[in-house]
Amino acid sequence: MWNYEKRLQYPVKITQTNPQIAQVIISQYGGPDGELAASMRYLAQRYTMPYNTVAGVLTDIGTEELAHFEMICAIVYQLTRNLTPEEIKESGFDKYYVDHTLALWPQAAGGIPFNACEFQSKGDVITDLTEDMAAEQKARTTYDNILRLVKDPDVCDPIKFLRAREIVHFQRFGEAMLTR
Amino acid sequence: MSAGCKPCMDSERQKLLQEISKVDFVLKELNLYLDTHPYDQQAMERFGQFNALKNKLVKDYTEKYGPLVLSIVDMDSREWKWATQDWPWEGGYN
Repeated sequence: MWNYEKRLQYPVKITQTNPQIAQVIISQYGGPDGELAASMRYLAQRYTMPYNTVAGVLTDIGTEELAHFEMICAIVYQLTRNLTPEEIKESGFDKYYVDHTLALWPQAAGGIPFNACEFQSKGDVITDLTEDMAAEQKARTTYDNILRLVKDPDVCDPIKFLRAREIVHFQRFGEAMLTR
Repeated sequence: MSAGCKPCMDSERQKLLQEISKVDFVLKELNLYLDTHPYDQQAMERFGQFNALKNKLVKDYTEKYGPLVLSIVDMDSREWKWATQDWPWEGGYN
């Protein structure tokens, strides 16, 4: 089971709204290499993981990913708070707004809905851990792409924290591969 | 970590919450490290020390400002601050 802590893993305090960059960042919520897919991938894989220590890695990283999509949602929410209809139209956010208003909904930047086909839960130790290491690198690449597109320091600061976590998780999954 | 800290905000409260986040970050790192190094005595000792420190800081924070976890609540308060205070995604104290 899980318990909630009433704080973010790393602070998100955005002073300027910007629906255009919100549409890019939402990909790390519901996109192919986003935090929701990461969490579901690891938490699904752990049941058939034959090593207790590796099931521990999957549980604890899967749990941390829940805190990461909470941060991504907080960024998107704060970037789109109290928008005017003009701002929504000018930024191209109207296509999202018409279906979801300003609510959070997991989708990729291109508008494709969250899809469990983005990740594998295959029941083979080597297959699953290799998938997980690749997933961490794909998420790191996506954060690098975001950092090329976004310059607001209020947004880049938490994004850089999340990018660094992908590297740590990659390291831990690599060690998990050596478990015997 | 200071981005977006508005002048109207209580800097002591912000500082204590930051301290809790830093200590919890150390705990998360040790937690993941220990999963793949389960016999590292030094890491286990550090986990114990930082866990005790986090519990102390969360108890201080709860008494001064409000709850962060449901396992540590201020029973002297007449208000269920868990629900009445802002949620972390609003910005503010997070």
